Amino acid sequence: MHAARNLRLCTKDCVCLFVCPTKATDTENGQIDFSKCLDGCRLCVDACPSHALYLVEGNYAEPADKPPAVAEKLFALLDRKTEEEQAIAQMLQKSLEAGQKASAQTLVLKALQKSLRIVAEDAAREAAYMLPQSEQVRSLIKQLLEQKPAQAPSAPGFPENELRQLLSML
Amino acid sequence: MESSYSAIFSNLAKACEKQLRTTEAGLLWEVSRYFEKNNSESEPIVDLKGLSDALALDDKEHFPDLQATAQEAADRGALRMGVWGAKVNTIEKTVTDRYLKVGDALLEGKSIFVCEACGFIFIGQEAPEICPVCKAPQSRFSKIA
Repeated sequence: MHAARNLRLCTKDCVCLFVCPTKATDTENGQIDFSKCLDGCRLCVDACPSHALYLVEGNYAEPADKPPAVAEKLFALLDRKTEEEQAIAQMLQKSLEAGQKASAQTLVLKALQKSLRIVAEDAAREAAYMLPQSEQVRSLIKQLLEQKPAQAPSAPGFPENELRQLLSML
Repeated sequence: MESSYSAIFSNLAKACEKQLRTTEAGLLWEVSRYFEKNNSESEPIVDLKGLSDALALDDKEHFPDLQATAQEAADRGALRMGVWGAKVNTIEKTVTDRYLKVGDALLEGKSIFVCEACGFIFIGQEAPEICPVCKAPQSRFSKIA
């Protein structure tokens, strides 16, 4: 569990520099040096007059499984939103090909695309995939890696290395 | 549906960004981009009229369906998603229908903003101080450019 700085709130009063025993708060990029930060120390968190410092958890509890009936509806919605977003992506491509780079149409399509993606992500989150460091996510990654040989010829660029790295990190 | 993995992984990428795990986030974005390609099996939506019809069906069937199921299972998170999602769905349909009706005049002298927390779309000079759907502050709105 290490400290992190919310740069939007930080008022540069630098009290964190006075209290940090390892100089983890003193950096060029404004963020805490996580590698120097002491696990759960929280001296800077309590000292900061602007409440700009907080602790980032390292170990999360496994989330509870969703009721299957609820998950099914959420996945159905995820599929709907995905289809709608993909339709927009195609319209957007046509619009860009027609040279409509900054037209009102392009902006409306981009806004719809973003909005639909955010709703799709919300459905995915509530259905099963809220926390990256969870059994649900690890088994999804394993499943994708197992499916890989069947789809590899028709799927160039399959992110096998990325998935393997994620499996070891999450 | 395989392309739904794209939103699953972009959501996980954002979750890692919130934990300041930038390496994991980068990898998750890569996976999300891979699944972005279109491989829809059902009848495709071809234009904004088609999108408007699809959103109308979501409003009439899919969101009420989710809300009823979530209520029955006493699943607060899913119900919350169903309520915000339905509201955002209404806005998406309104924007789509308005654009179909008035065309480019929809944005005349205005900008278009999207709430990064819930997907709410706002058309005006400046994003609202607080998102009317999810109550996120103005700083969570992105101006589309």
